Amino acid sequence: MAEINRIKNIITICVIILVIGLIIWPFIYIFISSFKPLKEIMARASFLPVDPTLKNYQTLLFARTPVRDFPRFLLNSLYVSVFTALFTLIISSISGYGIARNRKLRVGLVSKFLLFIYVFPTVVLLVPIYKLFTSMGLYDNLFGLIIIYTALVSPFCTWLLVSFFENIPRELEESAGIDGAGTFTTFTRIVIPLASPGLVTAGAYSFITAWGEYMFALILMSSNLKKTGPLGLATFTAEQYIEWGPLLSGSILIMIPVFILFMPVSGYFIKGFTAGAVKE
Amino acid sequence: MFKIRKNEIQQYLFLLPVFIIVLVIFAYPYIRNLIYSFYDISFGGAESNYIGLKNYIYLVGSKFFWDALGKSLYWTLGNLVIQLIVPLFLAILLNTKIKGIHLARSLVMLPWIAPTVAVAVCMRWMLLPRIGIINAFLTSIGLMEKQIHFLGNNTTAMPVLILLNSWKFLPFGTLMILAALQAIPLSVFEAAEVDGATGFQKFRFITFPLLGSMIWFVGFLAFAWNFNTFDFIWLTTQGGPGTTTQTLPVLIYRTAFKTFRLGEASAITVFIGIFLIILGLFYFSYLTPKEKQ
Repeated sequence: MAEINRIKNIITICVIILVIGLIIWPFIYIFISSFKPLKEIMARASFLPVDPTLKNYQTLLFARTPVRDFPRFLLNSLYVSVFTALFTLIISSISGYGIARNRKLRVGLVSKFLLFIYVFPTVVLLVPIYKLFTSMGLYDNLFGLIIIYTALVSPFCTWLLVSFFENIPRELEESAGIDGAGTFTTFTRIVIPLASPGLVTAGAYSFITAWGEYMFALILMSSNLKKTGPLGLATFTAEQYIEWGPLLSGSILIMIPVFILFMPVSGYFIKGFTAGAVKE
Repeated sequence: MFKIRKNEIQQYLFLLPVFIIVLVIFAYPYIRNLIYSFYDISFGGAESNYIGLKNYIYLVGSKFFWDALGKSLYWTLGNLVIQLIVPLFLAILLNTKIKGIHLARSLVMLPWIAPTVAVAVCMRWMLLPRIGIINAFLTSIGLMEKQIHFLGNNTTAMPVLILLNSWKFLPFGTLMILAALQAIPLSVFEAAEVDGATGFQKFRFITFPLLGSMIWFVGFLAFAWNFNTFDFIWLTTQGGPGTTTQTLPVLIYRTAFKTFRLGEASAITVFIGIFLIILGLFYFSYLTPKEKQ
């Protein structure tokens, strides 16, 4: 019996490795290919580079022109993503706490409403947001992007955080109250530290979303200096002659921060993401 | 008594930040949209004229609108089928307790969190004829006789895009269904085993029924998201070749920001909004399990 189980286990492991390989091979292939010289990128495909080079990265990072300033694009994305994560955390932790501590809200419409916003078709916002932001001076303004990204992710992050806040025993807060702590002190000193895995998840989610967003950046940003990474990379593909080398290395540079940020928190991320869903 | 009141007000105050955001960024613009759809608006700050239902009348008679609606349904349903069936198997596969399964689950998530732009750019390169690895692979194993320009071809563009987009969104459904699987108590399976149930019977009579509400949930989210996809299509084919992959979101963008007819774009938008709101109400009133008290 134990023997059969071991064989079963080995087969399962092999199947899992095979399936994961099938799913993520494009990332590995692109990573390897970003070290190929142009000649190999534009020739018949081979998996490994014959003559590996850093030239694609060099072109992208050091051959900067005002129109093609990739490091600048990445910095813009970093700025936008960091502030989006920060604002989202402030907003959604406050609102999430409010919902978690009120049974009527938790099981009622509000929680469903947040989910409804999550599937809200954002394309319908293109025209009115464009007009609204133009009239408010937020067109071609990185701060405008921060506002729209915060709005896009904070309903979902609120929903995400509710399940984390719920798991904090109420007694802890009550005893803090007896010791004379006000609502605000209890919230910042007791609730927030205990919910930190949730906050990390929500923060990572907002950062990742803002870092990769393309549609709103496309309609709201026009000057070259203010383009975000995804928008900058996309404009390279619109040029007459597409230079695939720098495009591949640029794709890798845009993906790597997301993967690095995601892998350490992926456990929390998966747990937090699903905790709310199973309850729904 | 007063204390309770005060607490309740405080609790509602907590909700204020997210409420304001939803109002300003979602509700207000959507209402503006409704208003714009009755106007003839040109780009920039120029004047706009009230034209009543003309935008809508134009849409009803427009070949592009109906074509895009058809493409949208094709796109959405195609994606939906793949994104519901494959994750079911992936989730069952990943629902085992072995060493390193957490790493496996994290790795499976990568396509989903990867920025769309990077995925789209790389896929375009990999799909090219002559230099792309996918063409090279498919011809070398004899599945295709000659190389195909997958994204520049009327017959292949849409199915290939659906496959790519589904690959990117597989992790989401997998994650959700996996969570639902883990919520099923093991004792149920053990009892079934005692009664002599086979693996398939366990899946057919225990797992599958218990997953029901989660599958509807994933289906609902996937429908709404896929219906809404703009960036992936725009970054790979821009709706082309011709209008082969021009779904409603692509048409909205084109109408508003390429041909500068904002009013007409708003009218399409109103249509999409109403369609998805009806779908959402239907989902929430019929398909969600009633609250367990």
